[in-house]
Amino acid sequence: MSDATKVAAAASSRDPAVGLAAVASLRGLLESLEELQVSNAREQGWSWQQIADALRVSRQAVHKKYRRYGF
Amino acid sequence: MFERFTGNARQAVVEAQREARERNAEAIRSEHLLAGIYAVPDTLAVTVLEAFSVDRDAVVREIDRLRPGGRPAIDPEALSTLGIDLDEVRRQAEEAFGPGALDRTRAARGDKGGWFGGHIPFERSAKKALELALREAINLEHNYIGTEHVLLGLLRTEDGAAHHVLSAHGVSLAPARVIVEELVRRRRKAG
Repeated sequence: MSDATKVAAAASSRDPAVGLAAVASLRGLLESLEELQVSNAREQGWSWQQIADALRVSRQAVHKKYRRYGF
Repeated sequence: MFERFTGNARQAVVEAQREARERNAEAIRSEHLLAGIYAVPDTLAVTVLEAFSVDRDAVVREIDRLRPGGRPAIDPEALSTLGIDLDEVRRQAEEAFGPGALDRTRAARGDKGGWFGGHIPFERSAKKALELALREAINLEHNYIGTEHVLLGLLRTEDGAAHHVLSAHGVSLAPARVIVEELVRRRRKAG
């Protein structure tokens, strides 16, 4: 992974299997990080509206997505 | 909707939910219903499939090969192709939120549970198949919905994956209906 040339070669790969798998993993990582941040924001007393503004989505969207987690 | 289902048919729906969960699917799809039917022993549906000489193991293997569904796993190697070092991201997250913070998230665990204790909804094609199962039972003048009607419902749901898997094995609606009728008639005669 520290091999920069190898990474660059893979990133510019035109093989859909490589590129799409990378995007799928990125989405998974995004979901994880978002969940961590939303949970933390709620613990710190942020309102759904404040969280939505920071995430640049609607309050309904963020509330609907995370309400069931009990944050 | 399930009040007229026989014990076996209910069991098949319960098994379908288990099949969907085990495959990490976000909804119960028609192929999960088919796998659910196969998970209940000695049903009329399986007798019908045997009449078509369907290879059960082959069907299960084909269902396994269908889209796995669910949230994408986080693959460190795939991320490295974008220049993202997952170990570093994990280290940063743990520094802020404590050990295992990133891996404990529901997203990382692929957990659909939330408050609903893992309840998985029916996807459109599975819902349609169950509705058509009721329709089939009514057409055959049966006052219950058994696994055999669920099977006919799956065969009628042409946009469902179960339909494709079954037709690839030579199972089609019209002859299946005839077999169901014949089996039910025989069973009634028997007792």
